[in-house]
Amino acid sequence: MSDIVGKPLMRIDGWAKATGQALYVADLVFPGMLVGKFLGSTCAHGRIKNINLEKAKRVKGVKAIITGRDFPYLHGECIINIPFLAIDKVRYVGEPVVAVAAEDEEAAKEALSLVEVEYEELPAVFDPEEAMREDAPLIHEEMEKYQYISAVKMIPKTNICQHFVLSLGSLEEGFAQSDYIFEDRFTTPQVQHAAIETHGSIAQVDTQGRITLWGQNDSPHRARKEIAQALGIPQARVRVITGYVGGNFGGKGGLKSEAIAIALAHKVRGRPVKVIFTREEVFRTITRSGCIVYLKTGVRRDGKIMAREVKLIWDTGAYAEKGPTISLHGGSLSLGPYDIPHGRVESFTVFTNKPMSGAMRGYGLPQVAFAYESQMDLIAERLGISPYELRMKNIVHERSKVVTGQRLYAVGLEECLIKVKEELERPDEAVERKVKLLPLGNWVRGKGLAVSYKSTKTPTVSAAYVKIDEDGSVSIVTSTVEVGQGAHTVLTQIAAEVLGIKEEIITVSFADTDVTPYDTSTTASRSTYHMGNAVLQAALDAKRQLLALAGSLFKCSPEQLEMREGLVWARDGRKMTISQVLRDTFGPGAGAAVLGKAVFSPDGILGLEDLGEVKLEAFSTFSVFHSYAAQGAEVAVDLDTGMVRVLKIVAAHDVGRAINPVNCRQQIQGACAMGLGFALMEEYLWREGKVVNADFLDYTIPTALDCPKMEVFLVEKAHPQGPYGAKGVGEMALAPTAPAIANAVYNACGVRIRDLPIKPVKLLKELIKKRSEKEGLFQ
Amino acid sequence: MEIEPKTTLLDLLRQNLGLTGTKEGCGTGDCGACTVLVDGKAVNSCLYPACEVEGREVLTIEGIKDKDGNPHPLQRAFVEEGAIQCGFCTPGLIMAAYALLLENPKPTDEEIKRGIAGNLCRCTGYVQVVEAIKKASSYLEGGGP
Repeated sequence: MSDIVGKPLMRIDGWAKATGQALYVADLVFPGMLVGKFLGSTCAHGRIKNINLEKAKRVKGVKAIITGRDFPYLHGECIINIPFLAIDKVRYVGEPVVAVAAEDEEAAKEALSLVEVEYEELPAVFDPEEAMREDAPLIHEEMEKYQYISAVKMIPKTNICQHFVLSLGSLEEGFAQSDYIFEDRFTTPQVQHAAIETHGSIAQVDTQGRITLWGQNDSPHRARKEIAQALGIPQARVRVITGYVGGNFGGKGGLKSEAIAIALAHKVRGRPVKVIFTREEVFRTITRSGCIVYLKTGVRRDGKIMAREVKLIWDTGAYAEKGPTISLHGGSLSLGPYDIPHGRVESFTVFTNKPMSGAMRGYGLPQVAFAYESQMDLIAERLGISPYELRMKNIVHERSKVVTGQRLYAVGLEECLIKVKEELERPDEAVERKVKLLPLGNWVRGKGLAVSYKSTKTPTVSAAYVKIDEDGSVSIVTSTVEVGQGAHTVLTQIAAEVLGIKEEIITVSFADTDVTPYDTSTTASRSTYHMGNAVLQAALDAKRQLLALAGSLFKCSPEQLEMREGLVWARDGRKMTISQVLRDTFGPGAGAAVLGKAVFSPDGILGLEDLGEVKLEAFSTFSVFHSYAAQGAEVAVDLDTGMVRVLKIVAAHDVGRAINPVNCRQQIQGACAMGLGFALMEEYLWREGKVVNADFLDYTIPTALDCPKMEVFLVEKAHPQGPYGAKGVGEMALAPTAPAIANAVYNACGVRIRDLPIKPVKLLKELIKKRSEKEGLFQ
Repeated sequence: MEIEPKTTLLDLLRQNLGLTGTKEGCGTGDCGACTVLVDGKAVNSCLYPACEVEGREVLTIEGIKDKDGNPHPLQRAFVEEGAIQCGFCTPGLIMAAYALLLENPKPTDEEIKRGIAGNLCRCTGYVQVVEAIKKASSYLEGGGP
């Protein structure tokens, strides 16, 4: 029985945000603060022959102007290969080459406009399949000399910075047992996170070299480690503070604006340097990796999938960033949530002369999910069974084994799929009203389905304090960053539940690596599960301590006491407030506190029982939990223009336990909108490696007019190790949206688009081709 | 006060006056995060010359209240309906909704969507935002803000 867990509590940061009082990094102003800006490379691949800073230095108000040679360090999470500023060589258009710190923005801009950079152009490569060829120009000539983590398996003297194979059963056997073999190629483009807040940081370096960074980094402890490692200094000399963050989706991990601010702050010791990226700079800095997916699937006549072979080629751009581990994650999920006896995944992560690709909502999953769910409908059609039945026949259940060798626990996928089918078939007046509002055209309608499942980064660590102060107020001290996902509200609910108190007397800290205990990252939909468990245990620890004190006062054993309604109760009905317990224990006016603490790391990961002794390392392909989802989309396609309008999205998600159902719904609706953009609108457009649509006019993301009704259903298949059974929710919802829409488009007009996005011109071309073939026009 | 001729209304608000509730998401008039009202009309303050507001009324997120000085019904509805996630586009969305309700106190869903089509939000999918604006309209009993 719970009082607060499971309730639609209003988010605790709501008022600050609704009133404009929440302060984001761009809003902060410190005394003596300088403005930092950078100059991006105009060359996609080249050597820096000369940089002339003379004129720039003379601009009034310029306090420092630097190049990579002035701050020659490399950073990175997987492979330490990203320069703070380009060192002697540039590898993509937009790569920071020169940075300036000045008294105001105008002086900084003027100085950069006077910088002269001379490049010696090198052959560049933009297509990942071309970059894999033996004769391709090498983007990192001596890649193997970089430091890198054990999860990285690079192929030296190539552009392939990560290569791995996963395998289960025997492909040969599986294909031999199949009646049909399906072979398809799918692609997804580079897309942008497009958080409405651009990237930004403020850095200060004191005369002793201690670095303080204020900003929006999604993972302060990880950033601290990356900075310390890069500069060869102890982590204690780096302090990372994160306040309100205006949207993340994976884009604000690693060092982006942070790198520029830190480099500049070293040159103007003592003075804080603020670097806020323009929208264009954000577009030129980080993307979701494009992916080419080759799928070969063997199926029996009755629809049972016997074997699936996947080859993945990830375009990771010019630097590794998180690319190698994204491919591990996406690769491990690339067979889909299906019980397939024989499987093999081979994956290549490839450098190209484009901005680097990093984590973005789903960490490699949306790319592979688009492929496997599109192919499922191709298979269903050929076999003459419905897409729903084909999925029902093959989806994973309790203890199903996936390609990593792990068995799955707490699997609620079937329930999700059934719910989506029901809701998609139900007549819907809202949809009919929407149809009436469609502009003139030759509209046809269709429906599509998709399912998916997602793992989380494993193993990882989260620690938390839960502090009870003299008057009974409670503080949760955590490094989990509130990026808009509602984590702080969820953590509040968990602590309130354990302590039997109201949420109003709980505060949640911002992250500050000097103060808040370790957390691996605010990524991978891991916070509710990991930090939720840490806060749960820390609250239990605080409660244990408080009841021990109360036991002395009541002269009874702590086991005979309980906490509810903000009070400590004895069995005989005696009660005390929390503050009374503390004051009576420590003495009135003396001040008082209880400090609960916990370090949570997954212990005894379920599903590894067939694998003997498993030694877990960072970025393993195993997962401490999996989340499951099914989605359906109904669309209208205009046969005359190729325009697609989404009429409705239905999303059923197994979240384990919805600690806050409103939060879950928010996450799912938002991810569906992002998935809609991925399906129909979003892609980077390039000219010789230069992004040509680096603004919201030319790179469109969904507006209110593009987003349909989204019905969300929460399925709660409790995870035995999750806090109150919770799993994760934030990233999952993006993955099935695009294939569900693509399948609905096919259902509507008979055209299968294998390369996202499904833009009108692309679809119209196929519609015309189809019509011509039908009418025999070009025979 | 004196300002430079090229100062934008957004810079005037954020830098000269310290009113940081109005946000900058693009600086090119594409995202709507900087929406404020000038004489009752929603504008992108990042494109709006500050010198043009001489003698006019500018209303920002800091300036909207209900008649008792409490948060405005739009702000209340946004919090209650779960229309806020990261919050960065929220002030702009609320101001766009404010302008909409001034003109059309009882908008339909479709009219609301048109009214906020210039405001990009990457977190919500707009579903709860539309619900919140409807709720605010009902709080105001169709009388406008």
